[in-house]
Amino acid sequence: MRAILLTTAAIAALPSLGAAQELIARNRVGLADAPNTLTFSLTAYDLYSSDPATKETFEGLFSDFIAARPDWKIETQLQTASIGQEQARLLQQSQAGRGPDCAMIDSSQLATFIDAGVLKPMNGVFSDDEVADLFPFVRDAVTDADGNVLAWWWFTDLRVLYRDTTVVPDAPQTWEEVQNAALAAVEQGREGILFNGGRWEGTAFDWMANFWAQGGELVDAEGRPVFAQGENREKFLSAIAYYQDLVDSGAAPARVTSITDYDAFNAAAAAGSAAMFVGGNWQYGQLRGTLDEATFANWQVSELPGPTADMRATGTGGWSIAALSDDPEKASLCGEMVKEIYAGAGNAAQGLLPTSAAIYDQFDTYDGPEYAQFSDALQNGVARPGATIYPEISNQIQILIGDVLSGAATPEEALETADAAVQAAYARQ
Amino acid sequence: MSGLRMSRLRMTGDRWGDVATYLLLGVLGVFFALPFAWLLSLAVRTPAEVYLGAARFIPQAPTLDNFALILSDPAFLTYLWNGLKLSAAGATLAVLLAIPAAYAASRLDFKGKNAILVGILAVQMISPLVILVPLYRWMVALDLLNRDLSVIAVYGALGMPLAVWLLKVTFDAIPKDLEEAAAIDGASRLTTLLRITLPLARPGIASAFILAMVTNWSQFLIPFILLERDGDWPISVAIFNFAGSTSASTTQVLAAACIVAVLPAVAVFVALQRMIVSALVVGAVKG
Amino acid sequence: MTAASPARHSRGPAPADGHPLPWLVPAVAVLALFYAIPVLDVFRLAFSDASLLAPATRVTTDAVRGTLTDPALLSVLGTTAVFTGITVAALQLMGLAIALVIIRGEDRGLPGMAAFRTLVLAAWVVPGIANGLVWGMLFDEAPYGTLNSLLGSVGIGPVAWLSDPQMAMVSAMIANLWQGTAFSMIVFYAGRKGIDPVLYEVAELDAATPWQTFRYITLPLLRRLIAVNTILIAVQTLNTFDSILALTGGGPGRATEVLALFTFNTVFYNLDLAGGSVLALLLFGISMVLALVVLRGMGRERAAA
Repeated sequence: MRAILLTTAAIAALPSLGAAQELIARNRVGLADAPNTLTFSLTAYDLYSSDPATKETFEGLFSDFIAARPDWKIETQLQTASIGQEQARLLQQSQAGRGPDCAMIDSSQLATFIDAGVLKPMNGVFSDDEVADLFPFVRDAVTDADGNVLAWWWFTDLRVLYRDTTVVPDAPQTWEEVQNAALAAVEQGREGILFNGGRWEGTAFDWMANFWAQGGELVDAEGRPVFAQGENREKFLSAIAYYQDLVDSGAAPARVTSITDYDAFNAAAAAGSAAMFVGGNWQYGQLRGTLDEATFANWQVSELPGPTADMRATGTGGWSIAALSDDPEKASLCGEMVKEIYAGAGNAAQGLLPTSAAIYDQFDTYDGPEYAQFSDALQNGVARPGATIYPEISNQIQILIGDVLSGAATPEEALETADAAVQAAYARQ
Repeated sequence: MSGLRMSRLRMTGDRWGDVATYLLLGVLGVFFALPFAWLLSLAVRTPAEVYLGAARFIPQAPTLDNFALILSDPAFLTYLWNGLKLSAAGATLAVLLAIPAAYAASRLDFKGKNAILVGILAVQMISPLVILVPLYRWMVALDLLNRDLSVIAVYGALGMPLAVWLLKVTFDAIPKDLEEAAAIDGASRLTTLLRITLPLARPGIASAFILAMVTNWSQFLIPFILLERDGDWPISVAIFNFAGSTSASTTQVLAAACIVAVLPAVAVFVALQRMIVSALVVGAVKG
Repeated sequence: MTAASPARHSRGPAPADGHPLPWLVPAVAVLALFYAIPVLDVFRLAFSDASLLAPATRVTTDAVRGTLTDPALLSVLGTTAVFTGITVAALQLMGLAIALVIIRGEDRGLPGMAAFRTLVLAAWVVPGIANGLVWGMLFDEAPYGTLNSLLGSVGIGPVAWLSDPQMAMVSAMIANLWQGTAFSMIVFYAGRKGIDPVLYEVAELDAATPWQTFRYITLPLLRRLIAVNTILIAVQTLNTFDSILALTGGGPGRATEVLALFTFNTVFYNLDLAGGSVLALLLFGISMVLALVVLRGMGRERAAA
């Protein structure tokens, strides 16, 4: 009851809204009586962010965008943070012919939507040069064989190794160096290295970098799962052995199998308990905000180590925006929105990594030394395979890592089980 | 003499019993309160401190900004209102449907009664989890998608089995003599139900209503799939808006939102606790 | 009131006759229209090749065969049995204990009983996402984790709450207990209050010990309520997946992956609608058998009484 009273008071006390904001409502951008409507399904991370600064920036961007197109309004539909269900709902909606005209799609799910045939080309909006300037792994994911642009992947992310330089002064370049550095840190009373090892997508994805670094492939050109066959099998097992040795030697604590969240690493860094962790590039900004200045200065990032110093890879994710409308005009508007709001200004406002080299030079945000590290590492970026079987592969790898690290199965047994499960699922697809 | 001694003995026995009572409730109290303490700890943090996670319980710079942010967002009020509206309407429907069915189960002898009762219970055993996709298509076919009615109807169907059971128990406990007297006076069964049985069953109805409402209050999947517009969402769905992104964590806002979202339901409890309890008392044992 | 008015007809309806149909139609109709029809669709989907990506194109038993022969299913069923069995027992014990203690406190006029009851109820209505958030911090195994720090201060631990497969199961049950106890507590509180106080007065005159009172009065009179509560709680517990998903995701490995979570993953992660439908029917079958066994036990007891 009190809550309701307080809210009523708060609403009454709100100042009258400025002219710029009249264009932005909870479910609409533009004037309510504009003749044309684009429906846009978006996450609550930008225009409707709970973070006031982010929200304000995007309100400005959207206001400018729609002011230049007075005939249009954008009807916004929020996506919740439960990505799996959102994806299922979006697929259902588009198959029932009720999908939005334009939608944000997690980059890892792009292939699913392309396979389902629900994405419509936005070719006219993006020039050949702009497409060519995309990072290769991004370009491959958003274009089809005929060169159609089916989505625009507007920011990416990657995994790097964070270290506290007071304990680990030099960046480890190989798996062996990681283990040695971690064991040395353990002797100083720290947790040597932390990484995702619990049952969630992040665990499989972060670990895959170690498999990819050796040139391992999860699926072949036809999308068939081949991770347990031929040379891939050896590469797979050696990447698993790397993690297993870290835990068995005590270089990584046993608790890694309970970590299902990148935020756990921030907490460990803040508490001073961890010496190193495998984290996302976005955590650099989070650490800057959380740690005091002197402590933050001790933390550095470097490229994920490989089996040898010249075999490297890192997993790349991020979000894309795609058109689902048959109406070419709406598909174009969707593309223009990505171009003018998200890819570029939207990247810079949130410090998100752009997917094309040109944008890094365009904004001051990217002058910081960490971005040099990130863009170097992106050279070895690998995206998750655009195969329908990928979710099951990831699921099985999560189970495998949990079983091996907690001692419930040997790597060979676990790999047999995982492969059998994936092949069975693939046979039914 | 001996009687006096016995009562003194019992006195000290009761005292020890009181100590044991508080000891047990104290331990359980910690168990039930600890998670709330952490939720509160998160809710008063600044963005800088939220990443400290379990590493710090009492924030160095506690703030009420998160609550202010939530409460000054008109959308939040809408979500709360939607949640209240949908769960109350769904619970009302469940109870309205359950009353005649429970009455028949309690007062009428007919073939296949048990089968029907088990059948009603059985429907509830299929989790909403998997009927979601068929449900979505079916609601599209009925042209009910994005209308409150679709969610209310499903809540009604889902909440009814428990309500039927509770009300049958309540009706069983109301002596038949009263109805028989009315029947002799020539009242129809419907009149008897409305005039005599229902007023006596009021506490049972209240408890069925409240249990259904609380269940609806925390439903996520059904409103999520049937209501596509943000403005129609109940708080149980909209609360996910406050989950963080990669660039800015909003866990502190999420925690504050969770606390505020609990309050209306707790208020309903406190106000109606007496009613729930007296309701179930009527016939829980005889049922 | 009717009883006071003079008789207009010589006979009203007798207590046990009358046609049940009109009474049952509203309930059954709504159930059928808004729930049973989609449920029937689940049967159709189970025997199809439908996925979230593409509608069914043919009738096939591939999904049934594939799902039932999945080697993981056995371990998932084992996990489900352990999780459900222990959780249901613990929910009942905890609910019963709290209800009886609160009633004792109220009878003695001890303050704080309503506050405690409200606290337990509040845990019930906390959004599931908050459950995962706070229990994740409580069980955090980092050196600064809450429970381990508390235990460490009295020289116990550290406990591998979530990283050890067996312990992760215990932790998932504890978090579920926190949220689920309220329901049993309400039911038993009311049940115990409904027992005729005269029985307890007689017991006191006979100088019965509290245990004897519980064993020979409270327990026998609550037995049927316990049976019904078992069905309701077991069905709820069987269908629980969100709190586990938020806490462990089903891991490490498959250590805490119960059937409901397995179903959820099949539909929303693998987009396998047909397989998910088969699992849903399996879940339904288990619930149904459980309910019938308990109801049967109840019926037999009544016949014997």
